Amino acid sequence: MTESPDERGAELRELFFETSQELLQALNDEALKLEKKPGDEEIVRVIRRTVHTLKGDSAACGLRELSELAHQFEDALSLEGTATQAAVAEIAFAAADVFAGMIAAYRSNGKMPSSKALSKKIADLTAAPAPEKEKTRRTKKTASKSSLKTTTAKTAEAKAAPTSAKVVAAQWTEYEKLAMTQAQASGQDVFHVVVKIDPHCAMPIAGRQLVHNAIGVMGPVLAMRPDAKSPAASKQVEFVLASVQTAEQIAAKCKIPTITSEVHIELLLDATAAVKKPQTDSGSENQKEIPAEASVPESAASDAIPTEDSPAAPSPEAAPANMLENILRVDAGRIDSVLNLVGELIIGKSMLQQALNEFSRRFPKEALRGKFADAMAFQARVLNDLQRSVMKIRMVPVDQLFRRFPRMVRDVARQCGRDVEVDITGQDTDLDKGILDAIAEPLTHLVRNAVSHGIEPAEERRKLGKPPQGVVRLNAYHQGNQVFVEVSDDGRGIDSQKIRAKAIELGVATLEETARMSEAEAVDFIFRPGFSTADEVTEVSGRGVGMDVVQSVLHRLKASISVETRPGKGTTFRMKLPLTLAIIKALLFWVEQRLYAIPLNAVLEIARTFETEVHQIDNYEVLQLRDQVLPLLRLGRPAARERTAKLFVLVITAGEKKYGLIVDALEGEEELVIKALDDHTFSTDLVSGASILGDGRVVLILNLPAIVEHVARWRQQETGQSNSGLLLTSTDRMRLAVSAGTGSAVGGQA
Amino acid sequence: MSRELHIVGFKVGRETYGVPITSLHEIVRVPEITAVPDAPDYLEGVINLRGKIVSVMDLRKRFGERHATLGKQNRILVVEHAGRLAGLIVDSASEVLKIPAEAVEPPPAVFQEGGLNCVTGLGKVAGRLVVLLDMSKLLAPGSLQAKSENGEKKPGSKAEARGAAAK
Repeated sequence: MTESPDERGAELRELFFETSQELLQALNDEALKLEKKPGDEEIVRVIRRTVHTLKGDSAACGLRELSELAHQFEDALSLEGTATQAAVAEIAFAAADVFAGMIAAYRSNGKMPSSKALSKKIADLTAAPAPEKEKTRRTKKTASKSSLKTTTAKTAEAKAAPTSAKVVAAQWTEYEKLAMTQAQASGQDVFHVVVKIDPHCAMPIAGRQLVHNAIGVMGPVLAMRPDAKSPAASKQVEFVLASVQTAEQIAAKCKIPTITSEVHIELLLDATAAVKKPQTDSGSENQKEIPAEASVPESAASDAIPTEDSPAAPSPEAAPANMLENILRVDAGRIDSVLNLVGELIIGKSMLQQALNEFSRRFPKEALRGKFADAMAFQARVLNDLQRSVMKIRMVPVDQLFRRFPRMVRDVARQCGRDVEVDITGQDTDLDKGILDAIAEPLTHLVRNAVSHGIEPAEERRKLGKPPQGVVRLNAYHQGNQVFVEVSDDGRGIDSQKIRAKAIELGVATLEETARMSEAEAVDFIFRPGFSTADEVTEVSGRGVGMDVVQSVLHRLKASISVETRPGKGTTFRMKLPLTLAIIKALLFWVEQRLYAIPLNAVLEIARTFETEVHQIDNYEVLQLRDQVLPLLRLGRPAARERTAKLFVLVITAGEKKYGLIVDALEGEEELVIKALDDHTFSTDLVSGASILGDGRVVLILNLPAIVEHVARWRQQETGQSNSGLLLTSTDRMRLAVSAGTGSAVGGQA
Repeated sequence: MSRELHIVGFKVGRETYGVPITSLHEIVRVPEITAVPDAPDYLEGVINLRGKIVSVMDLRKRFGERHATLGKQNRILVVEHAGRLAGLIVDSASEVLKIPAEAVEPPPAVFQEGGLNCVTGLGKVAGRLVVLLDMSKLLAPGSLQAKSENGEKKPGSKAEARGAAAK
């Protein structure tokens, strides 16, 4: 507790900005609920409580405009009769937007958004219900609270105003008062300590700090006046201290010769009595009122204000105080650097493992072997845990992203005259923060599309015998080392015929080709860059705007997307995301004497076959594997002459389709720490990264979507070349050209 | 007192080239190089420099020598430019040269275009000519492009390269 108060103030503000996002989200959520159940008083109460928390917190941080506006809104909500008005939900939405704008402005020191429109709406709200009966306890409380609130809001300024050397009790903010009540509840005594700084003290500011330090030793300082920056701080300081020590002990500590001239200590029996002002009573009433309300066993309330559901926090205002101690806000960069180091350790581990294997081979009888192996196993386990915990730091629940959609869907649905409900499941699924941030945009595109194009207008739905209200479903779940995020709707689906027609029109496919295509293949056209921008398709089939944006983001994340659509029944977009960006399980194989890796989860199976089994269909090499026909990709040199040669085929999935990769040999499975290649030098998209193996070798990690895309491009070009040689370097090609010329069968083996 | 440039001199073919000593990170023997597909041929690949992946360019190929082979005497100059590391394969790294600023002449006009636009000047030391290289131009992605267009058979167009490979 030796932080200087301004530091703490800044931290508080930051904390407020963080928590305010939650509050705004809660406000949005509740407004949505209210819209469904207009006039539900309980929901209005939750909204009021949320606004109240926002007000209190912002006042504590000295954000006056925000707290005043919130105060106005809260007041309006507490009036009898307001709650039942339909406009409340609307205003709550508007308020959420204005609050968000204000917070953003505070954060960036930008321009305040105008709150006049909102103020007016709120004023209308209060004006409308004629009978303004000041009768209920709540109304009274609000009235008195409002006067308190204005003073609290002013404390920010009051703090700065020079206080005279007289012993004057400062006004504590609600926030601080709450901390006092809590401290008392936990069995500590709360003291009001007034220390006068010796006017002859040469360095009053430093003196003040010394006093603060001395007091800090005794117990947590709950409040302090005035602020460190204020000039008055050099004359007199007031603290509220929670301590188990006696007043005498504290007094002794505070008496620092030549610095303090007078110490006045008072034991506060009732924390709220600390405010020796007329507002005292309303303050305490306020304090007690909130926990009572918060404890109402109503799940909606605890959902809406996440800080409430912890039993340790008797009221919403208490949460930030607790969070200060429990939550550490860390720059993401630092976590990344730890993760990097863990990556290095994993490389180190495989180096050790390799050395150990070598050792075992060389000295199979050596007794030390077992010891090494034990130590290795232990280290591997700890390392595994370490890696998992570091990754966990980066993990956040998908809910952070999902929860913003109900509001968005509502807005979009309204704009295009649909009636849409959002159904969210799997919101607890954890996902890497980086990935979560990256998929926000594609997900928004998908949801927007689903609402505006997927779901039919209500009449059309009724005619089709569907419920008039459409449903957009958001779902997330883990599967193996992957996270799936789905957006589905029960709308009209994608018309693959229209897409075929468009593909022919754009010249990306011929009539025959489109005729041959499966439904799924045809629908996949929507992900083609350029394809989607055609307006007609957007209007007719409804899908496409920004689809290539979606695709390109997912590309970057080494993720994939697939689409499943049933005409008239709906469409599901399924994003398959890696759990993390940093470490993957990979399958290592050889092509042309070089080691490559692909993510293991893309590999379905490994097949062995012979050159004779490979068939040529229309320029493409295919392999019949059991009952399916796989398009083949030769990563190395073109087909060997001798037809008996054995082949390794990796069956992979990219999107929903399967391909066979012909590789020269397999190496094995390994956990790889992904390192980026220098993008500036290598422009290739075939390789998504590199990694270092235990023996120091570098292995390149292939970018499967890009490789598959190359094949697609081949198809278009129809150059008559078989699909081989993707991974050949120009040097290889030269060698091959030479060896082909001399008829040597071992081309490229040099 | 005239300004002196501190230059690391190295040989590529018969010529001596130089880069400012401040941009040099270290000089290493040529380790195993992992080739990267779909890259210009003078981009040799990537190496593992104590846990860092560093891309390596063969300066001999960059300056037009087609069939350069790697031998024991070859070195990789690891240079640092704009915060990233890059390796340059050279025939040998010779010495640190101190060249007075006035002994550096601007490159002839013909150097300004094509693959040699990375030359910043010609320095004269004890009767020898040292070609001074500009890291930013040498390593800029644009310069690779220019080289590809200039060059004979670079995989600038993939179809072309594949066509050549299958012949």
